[in-house]
Amino acid sequence: MMAARLDVADLSLVEAADAVRKGEVSAISLLEACLANLDSHEEAVNATIWVDKEAAFTAARAADAKRAAGGPLGPLHGLPLAHKDMYYQAGRLSSCGSAIRRDFVPDYSATVIERLSAAGAYAFAGLNMAEFAQNGTGHNRHHGDCRNPWNLSYITGGSSSGSGAAVASRFTFAALGSDTGGSIRLPAAANGVSGIKPTQTRVSRYGVMPLSFSADNVGPLARTARDCARIMSVIAGYDPRDPTSAEMPVPDYEAGLTGDLRGIRIGMPSTYFLDELDAPVRAAIEAAASVLTGRGATIVPMTLPLMDAVATYAAVVSRVEGAAIHAEWMRQRPQDFATHINARMFPGYAIPATYYVEALSRRGPILKAFAKEVFSQVDLLVTPTIRTCLPTLAATDIDSGPPGTEQAALGISTNTRPFNYLGLPSMSIPCGFDLNGLPIGLQISGRPFAEAAVLQAGDAYQRDTDWHARRPAIAAV
Amino acid sequence: MSEKTKFVNDMVAIATWHGVQPPNEVALRMLGDLEKLIRDFEALRGTMRFEDEPASFEVALVEAASIGVRA
Repeated sequence: MMAARLDVADLSLVEAADAVRKGEVSAISLLEACLANLDSHEEAVNATIWVDKEAAFTAARAADAKRAAGGPLGPLHGLPLAHKDMYYQAGRLSSCGSAIRRDFVPDYSATVIERLSAAGAYAFAGLNMAEFAQNGTGHNRHHGDCRNPWNLSYITGGSSSGSGAAVASRFTFAALGSDTGGSIRLPAAANGVSGIKPTQTRVSRYGVMPLSFSADNVGPLARTARDCARIMSVIAGYDPRDPTSAEMPVPDYEAGLTGDLRGIRIGMPSTYFLDELDAPVRAAIEAAASVLTGRGATIVPMTLPLMDAVATYAAVVSRVEGAAIHAEWMRQRPQDFATHINARMFPGYAIPATYYVEALSRRGPILKAFAKEVFSQVDLLVTPTIRTCLPTLAATDIDSGPPGTEQAALGISTNTRPFNYLGLPSMSIPCGFDLNGLPIGLQISGRPFAEAAVLQAGDAYQRDTDWHARRPAIAAV
Repeated sequence: MSEKTKFVNDMVAIATWHGVQPPNEVALRMLGDLEKLIRDFEALRGTMRFEDEPASFEVALVEAASIGVRA
């Protein structure tokens, strides 16, 4: 059920930013609206790990003063944002959702945080997340499970659980998440918001907690595809402090949002991504395809190549890299990880190095072969973000559930993980609700560095639908 | 090799190479789940043919970006 009230926190990020620039809304009023929602619903949703209200009001007052003084303003001027608690900000806590780093305060800041700040935004909270970004459900034994604002018994998706829940709950206009196997797209889908995993190497990872060197990505979750486009224009691009970032020009993503999809060919895979699909999800995806067709796109049914290899090699790479990064803590203090975290990492130590090298060395050739077969026929792919209707927190709680619960929990990322191995840009936008009133996500993916095309399709879809504008009526606890 | 022998070998290898002990029962269950991954991995043997030339994923990303792009 939708809430009837209206407040400025209901504005999209772009609407809010433009209103501040025009002097229609003050930065202080935006902050007060977000904090009012936070104060009302945080106990229920548990989306934050820390909140710095004093610094936030100082930043908001400074933003209003700067506007009053005249002069150029950034594209995110005066916007209060909150991020997954793994983006380093000098002098601020960055718990990474863990007990091990409960008191970790870095002395330097992530490049993306600096770029958002340069664009006029400020961060006022660190958001809940899966411990060390290592689950797709949103469970967190140390900081409490993040709960879905649409129904508190259900998962938020993860690992950027607080990012999805906070955007949906109107605690913030946008949030950075990270995505190694679906951790932006899963919470975007589960919370009914928009989120994009950029092309591998598109956004700097400097100052961001690593999970998998090969597959980690930084990206935004926000209300709309247009919001994501504005943030992407700010954070994308080469960073000399991250030598793995691509030296590719960054387009004005927002300028490309025309709503016109004429001539765009969109592939709809008939296998893998639609296997064991729940009926409400299938209906929502088919309806979404009709909307895209109405905007001029052509839907092309197709079978994708190499999916067995992609899924298998992706599993090898993610397990080995996650295990390697945390090996010292797994030796010294394994009891300080939650059961579902250390249990998930443990098998990574049994995978032979030859498997890992093979999985990595085939990544480039597989990408090229996949691209030649797929992107010679279509420009984009659409699939469900999650194959099933959302499960409850209880049904996916590995720590307390019966044997087999781990399969239910890990299966959440079946449709998202392949795009991490392939390195392709991939976005989730809301496209409906299931019979339990929980959101359904549409995943749109494209060629390497084709974020503009992905965002264009998402924006075109949102011009004809209102799923992204709906607001959860959050139950009290 | 019996399942039990293989399990013991896995434990010894993990402890020897990594110094990591199984943290709980769930970890042992998930170790068992590797059986499927190994089967899937081995099933790929011989199914793909790629050129034996140096491959860089970052370069592949750039090259693949223009595939199928129309003027």
